[in-house]
Amino acid sequence: MSNESAKTARAEWGTRFGFLMAMIGAMVGVGNIWRFPFVTGENGGGAFILAFLILLFLIMIPGLIAEVALGRYAGKGVIGSIREATGSGTAVGLGLIVIIVNIALMSYYSPVIGWTLYYMLHSFMFTFTGAEFEAGAFLGDLFADPLTMFALHTVVMGLIAAILYLGITKGVERVVVYAVPALVIALAAIAIRALTLPGASEGLAFTFNVEWEFLLMASTWQEALAQALFSTGLGWGIAITVGSYLREYDDVPLGGGVFTAVGEASIGVLAAFAIFPLVFAFGVDPATGAGLTFEALPQVFMEMSAGGLWAIVFFTGFFLAAITSGLVITEVGVTTVAEETRLSRGKAVLAVCGLIWLIGIPSAYSPDILEFGDDTFALWGLPLATIAILIAVGWFMGPEKLRVLSVNQNSGIYVGRWWNVAVKYVVPVVMAAIMVAFAIDFYGADIMIAGMVVIVLVPIVSFAVMKYVEGNREAPTTAEPTGGDD
Amino acid sequence: MSEVLTAETWIGMGVAVVMFWGVASWAMIRTFRQEEKKISIVEDQRRIDTYSPNALEDLREWIHSRPDDPDVEVAREQYNECVDVLKSADHRFYDWSDDEVESLERL
Repeated sequence: MSNESAKTARAEWGTRFGFLMAMIGAMVGVGNIWRFPFVTGENGGGAFILAFLILLFLIMIPGLIAEVALGRYAGKGVIGSIREATGSGTAVGLGLIVIIVNIALMSYYSPVIGWTLYYMLHSFMFTFTGAEFEAGAFLGDLFADPLTMFALHTVVMGLIAAILYLGITKGVERVVVYAVPALVIALAAIAIRALTLPGASEGLAFTFNVEWEFLLMASTWQEALAQALFSTGLGWGIAITVGSYLREYDDVPLGGGVFTAVGEASIGVLAAFAIFPLVFAFGVDPATGAGLTFEALPQVFMEMSAGGLWAIVFFTGFFLAAITSGLVITEVGVTTVAEETRLSRGKAVLAVCGLIWLIGIPSAYSPDILEFGDDTFALWGLPLATIAILIAVGWFMGPEKLRVLSVNQNSGIYVGRWWNVAVKYVVPVVMAAIMVAFAIDFYGADIMIAGMVVIVLVPIVSFAVMKYVEGNREAPTTAEPTGGDD
Repeated sequence: MSEVLTAETWIGMGVAVVMFWGVASWAMIRTFRQEEKKISIVEDQRRIDTYSPNALEDLREWIHSRPDDPDVEVAREQYNECVDVLKSADHRFYDWSDDEVESLERL
């Protein structure tokens, strides 16, 4: 809470709506569109939804509240916020862990955004309804063209840099307040069209049929946990950063916790009503997974009446879902670099976007490298970063202190002491269990070895760097370690 | 469509819509209404009560239990600010009764 002059000079969300859309825009990404409906259908439908909801309220909402509240309490980016929680010193490396994971994740997410941009542009050229169009060959040609992939990655990072350069309210907020509602409208329009197709009910039955016996299977809960973790954006540093721009009288738990977690999952439910009826109506295999969006759906649009227009609606929405996530993910690094160095915001934007662009070149060049990076950082990097944040809040700062000073200040709902237990014990233990489960699943595989390297190397590098940096800080802007409270 | 869908599928869809879109809509409407009320109070009297009765009680307990914490002064300021507003303001954001406000004292 120190450094008040810097805090008051800081940007703020112009509206409550802007804050909420930034949170939703960041969390809703490619996975919500295809993964949620598919995983739901594969794991007992309604039974999976129940398991997912329980985990959402038990783990994800408390975790999100912790991150947003820490950001609001500190009024700083990730490293500054972690420093407020741990005090100056080596432990600030917990924040650098989050930044490293965030930048690594964004480096391969940028090429994926590039693919959505490519498909959106082609939808406007009515490529998918052309007589010669063949979906598999189209995607294969794109992947076999490194120059185009590199150009798309470059354009995406250039676009993100241009928007972020404008700042929080004039850049990020101005985009998300239009893009997120546009995404919802696009999906709703497709849902209405899809539900009127013959055979659509097969898709609904696949996703929503309740098979209660699945609640007794460990795999259902593991899948629900993985879905909840990867879709709610815990550990990316997004919630800390977005929360740090909250206004004085804004609430944390209702908007930053409940609305964000349930709202972003609602997009997945909407996608279930939009995509799977469409997929089943045209006899496409729902198990296509991520390829569903880039390989299977273009075939569907080809067969639909006015399919060219529906392709525009879908791929525009899909691009918006991807680019809003990319914007806010990148803002995490920009905010932190601008605060922790002497760079201006403009130079910080250039530095962070340039770094992500550089690291992302191999992923843009090869989808195999991209997939390997995704498996490594999504499976081990994200839980590691989440644990890093929660160690700072739960074990250095103490959750009760954050709860009384930030979570419940100006809050729209009262958060009781149960939250302390969730943040200090439940969420970190669950995250650690997830990493162990993945290690067992991939035991001996390259991904597992790479994951272990991430788990060991990223913290070592982070703590070493921050030990040096903190030791050379001219004027610490925060108090010394505050200690835990329970 | 309905001939293919079983009662359980309808239940699954209903639960999904209510629990996700229902809860998300409730949260969004509630937070916007609260925002409206906050703006109205701030515009009217420039200050607003920042804690609910339960939350202020928790804050008071924490201040008493952590007298040596580096942030205890900040906490005390937040507590006293809320008490001052509650005692002086005509409109309150949270559901405080007059008796509850009467019993509050600065720390």
